[in-house]
Amino acid sequence: MQAINKYGFYGQIILLVVLVMLPFIITSSYLNHIMTLILLWSFVATAWAYMARFGMVSLGHGIFLGIGAYFPTMMFNYWSFTPWIGIWVGVAIAVATAAVLGYACFRFGLLGDYFALVTLAVAEVSALTIMAFRETTGGSLGYTLRATGKISDMQFSDKRVYYFIALILLIGAVYIWRRIDRSPIRLALTAIEESEIAAASLGVSVIRYKMMITLLSAGLTALGGALYAQYVTYVSPDTIAGVGVSLSVCFKAILGGMFTVLGPFVGSTIIVALEEYVRISMGASFLGLSQIIFGISLLIMIIFLPKGIMGSMSLAISRKLNRID
Amino acid sequence: MFEQILMALINGILLGGVLALLAFGLNLIFGVVKIIHMAYGQFVMLGFYFIYTFHTSWHIPLLLAMALGIAAMGLIGILTQLLVINPLLNAPRLNQLLALASLIIVVENLAQVIWGADYRGIPLSMPIIQFGEIFIRSSFLIAFIGAIVTLWFLYLFLNRTYLGLGIRAVAQDLEMAKGMGINPKVIYYITLMTGGALSGLVAAFFVPIYTVHPHFGASFTLMAFVIVVFGGMGNLMGGFISAFIIGIVTSVTAVLSSKEVADIVALLMFIGMMMVRPEGLLGTES
Repeated sequence: MQAINKYGFYGQIILLVVLVMLPFIITSSYLNHIMTLILLWSFVATAWAYMARFGMVSLGHGIFLGIGAYFPTMMFNYWSFTPWIGIWVGVAIAVATAAVLGYACFRFGLLGDYFALVTLAVAEVSALTIMAFRETTGGSLGYTLRATGKISDMQFSDKRVYYFIALILLIGAVYIWRRIDRSPIRLALTAIEESEIAAASLGVSVIRYKMMITLLSAGLTALGGALYAQYVTYVSPDTIAGVGVSLSVCFKAILGGMFTVLGPFVGSTIIVALEEYVRISMGASFLGLSQIIFGISLLIMIIFLPKGIMGSMSLAISRKLNRID
Repeated sequence: MFEQILMALINGILLGGVLALLAFGLNLIFGVVKIIHMAYGQFVMLGFYFIYTFHTSWHIPLLLAMALGIAAMGLIGILTQLLVINPLLNAPRLNQLLALASLIIVVENLAQVIWGADYRGIPLSMPIIQFGEIFIRSSFLIAFIGAIVTLWFLYLFLNRTYLGLGIRAVAQDLEMAKGMGINPKVIYYITLMTGGALSGLVAAFFVPIYTVHPHFGASFTLMAFVIVVFGGMGNLMGGFISAFIIGIVTSVTAVLSSKEVADIVALLMFIGMMMVRPEGLLGTES
């Protein structure tokens, strides 16, 4: 294990240096755009995995993405409320929503599949709500952020600013992951995952710890959604709320490996890159065809890499290093 | 207003019958193979397109085209079992769910490539039945009666035939069923084939009612899913009852406000049920 940790540490430093240098080496604004998307989705997928790795698989993070994306955007368009503050309002609303939903789920002891099903329904409710209020939200046609180009409105002439914002957020998310790993929260949540009753009988406050990680995950997810909206300047229920995006976040984290800290990053990189690659190489005339290839690739990866890429890799490495067992 | 609500109520009951058939397939697959078929509504969409192609492009008479569509969907069901479900039988629950969810991407875009994004339908003029102030579309009535008859046959199949006994045995206790000499793989293939054929049958009932487009299936997947869980996963009777409850509630709410609100109400009922009684209406505690 020591050896892996040492290699892992140097590997992460090199990765970080590469990520910081990348936008200066690659000047194509298209590639920079893809890289920014990768980092933003990595951040969201990492926040999602906070909960999922302790057995709380949420299929409804779309609601937090949606709240984070829609509230700041609408407050800016209708009231010219600056996104610099609006984003935090969105995050606060998302955290409050998570508190209500999380408390209801944990109070009634929803576990495993049932938790996943309820959150899936919640995700669909979020998309339907956006469509029901189509006069203010634009419904399924989506909603475009008013362009001003002013820094005070969080719009930058150099799009690379968002790359670095996303990178800082991702580093923050990885740092929080590590902090959780070293804190009693991890032990408590692992115990809760094994058996709620046993954990409770040992004095672990089940609901409190679950709420803590849920609020953290929801808040960061909303922050990711808010930045996505500010960066892309267009939101719609298909791209940032509802079942589709909730599942796509799960895909990214699971394919990368949701039990390893860099898994969500690796998964997001592969999925976003693959999606773009098939889209570009097929051209616009075969939009559907590229998505078919994308879907089949996902299917193959899920079947052959059940633990995710990072999960399977670290398993292979540790087998190699400890040949004795 | 009263007539409108009464009409919505009747339409809800009629729709409930078809939804019950839709939920039955999903429920059967869940009960036997223990997998949530996330792409079930998309299969209905595919069945609809098959019938459309057989009828309009190949000029096969409509009823024969429907029969062919049902058979083709049964085949698709077998292929799903072979290519997607078999390799994932021992995988974590979440992986199975996501694999079938990625099947949604494949099927929807396949439809988009082959048939395009336009709304397609087979124009049929079906008479409207009138009782005083109340109008009922006969296409709804046919679908309802057809669905109930099919469900009755399925009930007989499961309860009165040797094969049905085998299916129920696998659903109840896999290990014991294996011990009794049942090959679960064969049962799984038969279940997926039945489920696929049922999605084709639902598509056949939908032909006179709706027009089809690549995203046609999405709302039905969720609806079927809500019905199945609401009634108790794997419990066929519970699914039957909850199909009518959900059908009536959504159809009446849609008249009173809008379709989105109707769906939201159905989902909130589902969430409430999960909180209070996670095993569903008639499910047994596991």
